[in-house]
Amino acid sequence: MSPALLSVEGLRVGFRSADGGMVEAVRGVDFCVAPGEAVGIVGESGSGKSLSMLAVMRLLGAPARATGGRVIFDGEDLLAADEKRMRALRGRDIAMVFQDPQSSLNPALTIGRQITDVVRAHRDVSASEARRIAVESLERVGIRDAGKRLASYPHEFSGGMRQRALIAMAIACRPRLLIADEPTTALDVTVQAQIVDLIAELRRELGLAVVFISHNLQLVAEIVDRVVVMYGGKVVEDGPVEAIELAPRHPYTSLLKACVPSLSGPVGPLTAIEGAPPRLGRLPTGCPFSPRCPDAVEPCANEMPALVTEAGHRTACWRPR
Amino acid sequence: MSDLRKALRGLDWSGWLGAGIVGLIVLAAIFAPLIAPYDPLALNIEDRLTAPDARHWLGTDQGGRDVLSRILFGARASLSVGIGAVLIGALIGVSAGIFAAYKGGLGEQVVMRIVDGVASIPLLVWAIAIVGILGVGPLAVGPLLLPNEVKIVVLVGCLFSPVFARVTYAVAKRIAGADYVRARFLQGASHWQIVSGDVLPNCLSPIIVQGTLLVAIGIVIEASISFVGLGVQPPQPSWGTMLSDARSAIYSGEWWLPVFPGLAISLTVIGFNLLGDAVRDLFDPRSEARTLVA
Amino acid sequence: MLRLVAGRIVSSIGTLLFVGLALFALTRSGPGSPARIVLGADATAEQIAQFEQAHGLDRPFLSQYAAWLGDVTRGDFGKSFVTGRDVAAEIVNALPVTLAIVLFAFLIALVFGIGIGVLAALKPGGAFDRISRFASVLGLSIPAFWLGIVLIRFLAVDLRLLPPGGYVPLSAGLTLHLQSILMPSLSLAVYYIAVLARMTQASLQETLRGDYVRTARAMGLSSRQVVFYALVNALPPVVNLAALSFGYMFGWALIIEQVFNIPGLSRALLNAISQRDFLLLQGIVFLFTAIFVFANLGADLINRVLDPRQRAAA
Repeated sequence: MSPALLSVEGLRVGFRSADGGMVEAVRGVDFCVAPGEAVGIVGESGSGKSLSMLAVMRLLGAPARATGGRVIFDGEDLLAADEKRMRALRGRDIAMVFQDPQSSLNPALTIGRQITDVVRAHRDVSASEARRIAVESLERVGIRDAGKRLASYPHEFSGGMRQRALIAMAIACRPRLLIADEPTTALDVTVQAQIVDLIAELRRELGLAVVFISHNLQLVAEIVDRVVVMYGGKVVEDGPVEAIELAPRHPYTSLLKACVPSLSGPVGPLTAIEGAPPRLGRLPTGCPFSPRCPDAVEPCANEMPALVTEAGHRTACWRPR
Repeated sequence: MSDLRKALRGLDWSGWLGAGIVGLIVLAAIFAPLIAPYDPLALNIEDRLTAPDARHWLGTDQGGRDVLSRILFGARASLSVGIGAVLIGALIGVSAGIFAAYKGGLGEQVVMRIVDGVASIPLLVWAIAIVGILGVGPLAVGPLLLPNEVKIVVLVGCLFSPVFARVTYAVAKRIAGADYVRARFLQGASHWQIVSGDVLPNCLSPIIVQGTLLVAIGIVIEASISFVGLGVQPPQPSWGTMLSDARSAIYSGEWWLPVFPGLAISLTVIGFNLLGDAVRDLFDPRSEARTLVA
Repeated sequence: MLRLVAGRIVSSIGTLLFVGLALFALTRSGPGSPARIVLGADATAEQIAQFEQAHGLDRPFLSQYAAWLGDVTRGDFGKSFVTGRDVAAEIVNALPVTLAIVLFAFLIALVFGIGIGVLAALKPGGAFDRISRFASVLGLSIPAFWLGIVLIRFLAVDLRLLPPGGYVPLSAGLTLHLQSILMPSLSLAVYYIAVLARMTQASLQETLRGDYVRTARAMGLSSRQVVFYALVNALPPVVNLAALSFGYMFGWALIIEQVFNIPGLSRALLNAISQRDFLLLQGIVFLFTAIFVFANLGADLINRVLDPRQRAAA
């Protein structure tokens, strides 16, 4: 295995709660992303998947903050980097696109302005050169008539085009890692597939490493090499996509897989899993999934199982399947 | 009532400070005849222009009148104009807002256009000009002779009314279209029952917030109009006329003449602003901006 | 787009005509007819009828208003019944004085109001935020004319830094001009600094939480650019409030001019009141109302430029 591009080690994210205590939402997460590799992070809302990646980007807003662990990107601990260094890395080496393209683009500025601002933040180029790069990026994400589209405002784009424009912003400076946080959730089903295909294509052409965050295992499985399943702020399973697809070991993963998400709507897979998602601060001392787990046995609720690696496939379960 | 008690419990320290200041000034205005050490109108040439001392805590003016007593009585003019104008504005505005929201059609259009028209009137200029046209003499209503301030109260009240009309209109419009209100209507509730039971209670908190902040503006307007001689007429004490009388003292050094009435206005207005801000934070924490300006 | 703008302009003019009608009616509602005031209590009915005919006062009310409006659009505000002087000329004499004070005050209010609001929004809960919140309550509560009196006492009488009153036109030199309008403008501006600072802070704090701000940060934009991204979206309500403020400032300028003994429109208006000079009063108030209405129209148009979604709605 090649050395990791991104390696998250024991990452913890906490919120300062109203009564002054800390509530942990990410409780010691480890995983790696190799250069050019596509990794899916799957879990329901509240599993800590988005918070983990915001912590990687150092974009957590108060009251959340990273309380422990390391985030090594290309040999450098990002949690120890200063803000200036992070600004240089963001957009140039690591870029992130978010869930809702509607609100993620600045409604008051043209698409062209927003892309060229990113280019000029990282590269000392002339205005016309920045424009050229912007057009090239827009073309690369499949926006036709890109030259004319520079003068458009976000509201003149459809939802799918906005997400393409955001991806164009993200790849304008040729980052090595693209983090996509539920990039298709807010889009029409037909458009979802196009965006997933686009990300897969960009990865191939540009040699991007991709972290694709989603609650939809099926969707992620189409383009990633490896899947990290998170639950209750912990990694419960992590393995090659084929293994996860064919032989999931954690009961949660198999349930995720069993309730195949319908492609006709945004209905999450968890509607079919008994019980409610875990609440922060109310987690059992043991496996966070134990209250809902059909296979739960005596030690599950009291003691957290360790992540056990077996042939490149990690599972944290007392009774793996 | 329980809402009010809950609201009071939620008040932060600045809200309590504001409420305390407002309470004190209101008490001072009500009990001015009891607590004022002197007759606010009594001239006393021997004691004229005495600096603050044990007998006259805040000094005396050119006529030897006690400044403290005049400030206490002046609170009556300020508060009655400020509060009176807000009450009149609320009465007109709330009625107009509910009428427009309920009536719909042409009536709605006409009323809301009038509200827009009144809202595009520069308040102070019109108040000064219209009182000027009507004259500063007492206002005869039947056998009653009302003081000049009544004109200001009514005028400022009318000019305040769009604020209330718009708030009420928005709430009433939203509620009149809500499913539960339609259901109540189908169950036989009368228009009046819906207005008094659903619409008004929902308008109450924005009305209280805007009303409190508008009292502050009304007080400054009263003082300003009195300052240019078109408000409270001498010898009746008002903070604005006291400041007007104190202008010559700017140069001659009787510092207490301009300082104390100005402090009285500022303190009162601070009280209403703090209270209004705190009540707004409580009722509607998201609308942090102050959109009221005059 | 163009049609919508035209629509807004027409609607503003409509409002102005409507409000102007109310003004016209009110100026005629005072005790005593103009003829009585000019000719005195012992004028005969015949003399009065003659006067009214000569000045068109016997015509129907609406036609008087229409005639007056027609004249106003040509820049003719009529001749005063009382002094015989041309109203437009009197306004033209006094307006630059008031305008100088208001414009300077508006500039001060914009720069400091928005500046303080931005700084306070950047660190919510920080020391600057808390100080500015406290100071803004003071700014909202201290009456401008009293502030003027206090400033005269300290800066002019005690420290002798500035003239205590009066007005020096720009033609007499920039320094003297600015010295004469600094205190009046500052007293006038303080309330509006507070108003604009509060609005800017609240609005910017809101937009700084926007998703597009997070995107801008995720793309590595500098903090200045990130603030700019939030600020362009925070401005529309501030622009609206600034326009309202500009319109209202003329009213308070009247009081301030009294404090500083400045021969602006305030003196003209108070003279008109004391001489019961209807046409002059009507002209001045109509002018102020027009400024108010068009300032708000201007804000509307600026916001259409700032917010492309509104532009598209046209």
